[in-house]
Amino acid sequence: MIRVLVTDDSRVMRQIVIRTLRQAGYDWDVREASDGAEALEAIRADEPDVVLSDWNMPNMTGIDLLRRLRAEGFQTPFGFVTSEGSPEMRAAAESAGALFLIAKPFTADAFREVIDPVLA
Amino acid sequence: MSPIVEHAQIFMIAQEVFAAMVDGDAGLLQPWDGDLPALDQAVSSWVDIHGDWLGRAVLTTEKSTADDLARALLDMGADEEVTEPDLVDAFGEIANVIGGNVKSLLPTQGSLGLPTVASVAPLLGGAVVIQELRLAWRGRPLLVAVWEIENTVQEGNHS
Repeated sequence: MIRVLVTDDSRVMRQIVIRTLRQAGYDWDVREASDGAEALEAIRADEPDVVLSDWNMPNMTGIDLLRRLRAEGFQTPFGFVTSEGSPEMRAAAESAGALFLIAKPFTADAFREVIDPVLA
Repeated sequence: MSPIVEHAQIFMIAQEVFAAMVDGDAGLLQPWDGDLPALDQAVSSWVDIHGDWLGRAVLTTEKSTADDLARALLDMGADEEVTEPDLVDAFGEIANVIGGNVKSLLPTQGSLGLPTVASVAPLLGGAVVIQELRLAWRGRPLLVAVWEIENTVQEGNHS
């Protein structure tokens, strides 16, 4: 079973992401982190198969989390789920090593569209 | 000069956000027909946009409506009590997603602040309401506004 770490400072949004994963047909083992710093500790302690992260969070943003992970040698597959889907942010996400960026609001179809190719 | 974001663009964003996050179905957020009534126990949520253009996206509705929005987002029953943290999280997140999508429309990108929820969004000197949408969510009043803020009065959360 795939193990995912869902990172968002909003508990509501974590719940929506987890619900949408289920609706998209991904029966994954889910852990949660409430900001980038908490996610970094969780990944260092037990690396998941994939990280789904918000961008804009207190303590450590999602992009800082991704850069820190890569700097520490973690190649954990990483995707953003964020309210900001501008071309500039997509480019920044890609250059930092993100596999995809899902813009909020999203649907189960949107999850499948970007996650299925990564799983293939 | 036309405003930096159009009324129709904000309405489309709001409809999409409510359809995807809240209702799972389009069409439950519509323009309000006529004057908006006085709101009972108004509550607002907002996010600030920082960059070349400074602004704020603000949602305002009645407390009972914000409670129901939180129930919808959290899959709660109609008679379940909504705690203050859940209300702040849920109503703030709707403003966050609307604000993020408004920011995506801007010609140059800045950063988005963290959402804030209070009984009223504090007035800022130099702030001008450039768009105000009077809407009905399931027939209940809800305001979505975009403010433009002059460069000299930056306030709010930075990230």
